[in-house]
Amino acid sequence: MSNRAQSYPRFNIFQRIEHIVLLVSFSVLAITGLPQMYSLQPWAAFMIDAMGGIETVRVIHRTAAVLLILGTIYHFGALTYRIFVQRVALTMLPGLQDVKDGLQALGHNVGLVKTPPRMGRYNFGEKVEYWAVIWGTVVMVLTGFMLWNPIATTSILPGQFIPAAKAAHGGEALLAVLSIITWHFYNVHVKRFNRSMFTGKISHAEMEEEHALELEAIEQGRTPPEADPTGVQRRQRLFVPFAAVITTILLIGLYIFVTFEQTAITTVPRQEIEAFTRVTPEPGVVQ
Amino acid sequence: MTLPSGEALHAGVDLAVIGQSVHGSSADAPVYCTDCHAPRQRYQYPHGANPAPDRASFKAEVAQNCEQCHVAAEQHNPGHLQAAADANVPTCVECHNGHDVAPVAAMQTDPVGTCQRCHQEFDDPRLGDIHAELVANLGAGQSCETCHASTPQSEDAQCQNCHSLLTSQLTLPSGDTVDLHVNPEEIIDSVHGEQMLAGVQYTTLRCTDCHQAQGLRGFPHQTIDAETRRDFTIALQQVCQECHLDIYDRTGDGVHAQHIVEGSLEAATCADCHGNHAIQDPATPRERVSQTCGNCHAEINDQYSASVHGAALLGEDNPDVPVCTDCHGVHDIPDPTTAAFRLSSPQMCGRCHADVDLMQKYNISTDVLDTYVADFHGTTVTLFEHHSPDEASNQAVCYDCHGVHNILPVTDANSSIIKANLLQTCQQCHPDATENFPDSWTSHFKPSLEHNPLVYFVDLFYMIVIPATVGGFLLFIGTDIFRRIREWFGRRRAAKDE
Repeated sequence: MSNRAQSYPRFNIFQRIEHIVLLVSFSVLAITGLPQMYSLQPWAAFMIDAMGGIETVRVIHRTAAVLLILGTIYHFGALTYRIFVQRVALTMLPGLQDVKDGLQALGHNVGLVKTPPRMGRYNFGEKVEYWAVIWGTVVMVLTGFMLWNPIATTSILPGQFIPAAKAAHGGEALLAVLSIITWHFYNVHVKRFNRSMFTGKISHAEMEEEHALELEAIEQGRTPPEADPTGVQRRQRLFVPFAAVITTILLIGLYIFVTFEQTAITTVPRQEIEAFTRVTPEPGVVQ
Repeated sequence: MTLPSGEALHAGVDLAVIGQSVHGSSADAPVYCTDCHAPRQRYQYPHGANPAPDRASFKAEVAQNCEQCHVAAEQHNPGHLQAAADANVPTCVECHNGHDVAPVAAMQTDPVGTCQRCHQEFDDPRLGDIHAELVANLGAGQSCETCHASTPQSEDAQCQNCHSLLTSQLTLPSGDTVDLHVNPEEIIDSVHGEQMLAGVQYTTLRCTDCHQAQGLRGFPHQTIDAETRRDFTIALQQVCQECHLDIYDRTGDGVHAQHIVEGSLEAATCADCHGNHAIQDPATPRERVSQTCGNCHAEINDQYSASVHGAALLGEDNPDVPVCTDCHGVHDIPDPTTAAFRLSSPQMCGRCHADVDLMQKYNISTDVLDTYVADFHGTTVTLFEHHSPDEASNQAVCYDCHGVHNILPVTDANSSIIKANLLQTCQQCHPDATENFPDSWTSHFKPSLEHNPLVYFVDLFYMIVIPATVGGFLLFIGTDIFRRIREWFGRRRAAKDE
């Protein structure tokens, strides 16, 4: 019954664009951020030089941060729309089954368990990655705000939060980059190049290996029913103004994030002192 | 009687005068008339005609006979005889008189007066003025002969003869005056005196080694073409390069020389810092350095003297604290107001403050440079210096917080970096900073349980979480690869079996 040549839709165009935006902003943030973290290493100094100096690198980093936050705001809107208007199943929510799947996969890998886990639309590996991105983004945005607006931060929080935020911003960045290089790259590039995030489609073989339960459901026609169009319309009418208000608030928040304070004056005040003041009428008089 | 020249020659002789002279009867060795008026035959009566055409010739003829008893004139007074062709050259009697020949002791009471019988007027009026001043300033035991000795004098001695006696000033066209007095001892006792340096024996510098270009050699000197005394000093420093070329070249790159080139003539020349005749080792004692700079930079020197560095130098003679030149350099002093100076200044402070051996004497942390560089200010400054050393940055460097010349010890209530004053210091650049803000700076402490514990815990958290997470991922990936290889071999075996 199953058609091995068939491919299955996985990501719509908006999700794919969202991924590209995240990919670009994350990469730019990493490329401009890590050299700042290790700025005294020769390679980092070289990279900063190549990118036009530290001030330019900071501007690029902050621009990419704004892009990342815009993407995050969009994601929040799209996600709530899908949940509250389209009422899609919360397939990304982690559960006990994911722990079991993970352990089974590990057991299967080392040969202790005969069969690999059969997993749903999002398997444990993908959930780890998604929630890591969520957690990482929250940490990076919060600590980033503190570093961007240290005066506003210290008007509420103790001063030590600033260097702590810097430590966390760097630590979390390193964790994120290393996770992408290991977990993400292995799972979607090395193990098998998973093109679904770019083409929108996933092959039968990939479905079989990674989303066996979802495949089974599709093949048995147990796909979730399309939402009732009148219900969607009704909920849309409620959602759109609500989302507009929230989005506006978030965008204002982003604007404040970027423009809230001028941390420092642009020029360090020079000490004013008369350099040339003689004690003797004329020293070294030629006799 | 009348000589052929028409001059009168008195035949009358006051015997009492001869008697009272050193040649007279009261002397140990009385001289008789014909001892001097020789040969005796000529003076027998009746006298023959006097062969002398004039009075001077007659005196010269008589004076030849002085050598019968006295040292030859060539030895006694060669100077005068050098001008033998001159009809006015004096003979013995010109100075020592004839019948009333004076005792030497009596002459010594007024030696100048003797010379001045002839030497009263000079062709060049300047010579008369100078001589009048020199004679007026002659000290005990000094006479015309002090300068006009009968033996040849060295060139330096010739300069010193006059300039050690002169007390007047030379007036330049601008009205500035230059003291003409020189104390030769100052040069002898200076670094330019005779000394052994690095195995080389140096003789004392001669006056004309330096005073050469202005045409000062020879007397009367050529006029100095400098308008003002400052012009003269600036022009004269050119001569230093003849021996000190490398230093002179470096000085040319320095801020003082640049200012002079740009027309600020009060900027320091070689002599302004080192002196001229009495040059001593400029850094012995060390506080001499700050005193030298303080001559022109008095206000800064006052600040420095009251600072933690200056107080230790001046009060304790501390050899470790910096003097001006340790931070500013010596001859090629860079302009301290440039961006480049600012950006490199932390490394300058770090030369001492990151030196473990030096700092442990005073129990001062050497983490200061590393912790600064690791922080936002220091990282930016370091990167700026690396990428664009001449570009201005608004990031604080050491002296923006600690002070420049006026750095105070942390025990001082006015210190800019103690807790009580730190907010104010931060507000110089962060005007909106509030009470908590200064704590966002880690105060040069590496994060620990004691200092900045929150940062310490965040670091600790990631030190555990990163290896644990990435290690977990790698473990999982490793087992996955392991399984795939096993499966691949399994498929191959199955294919073979078929």
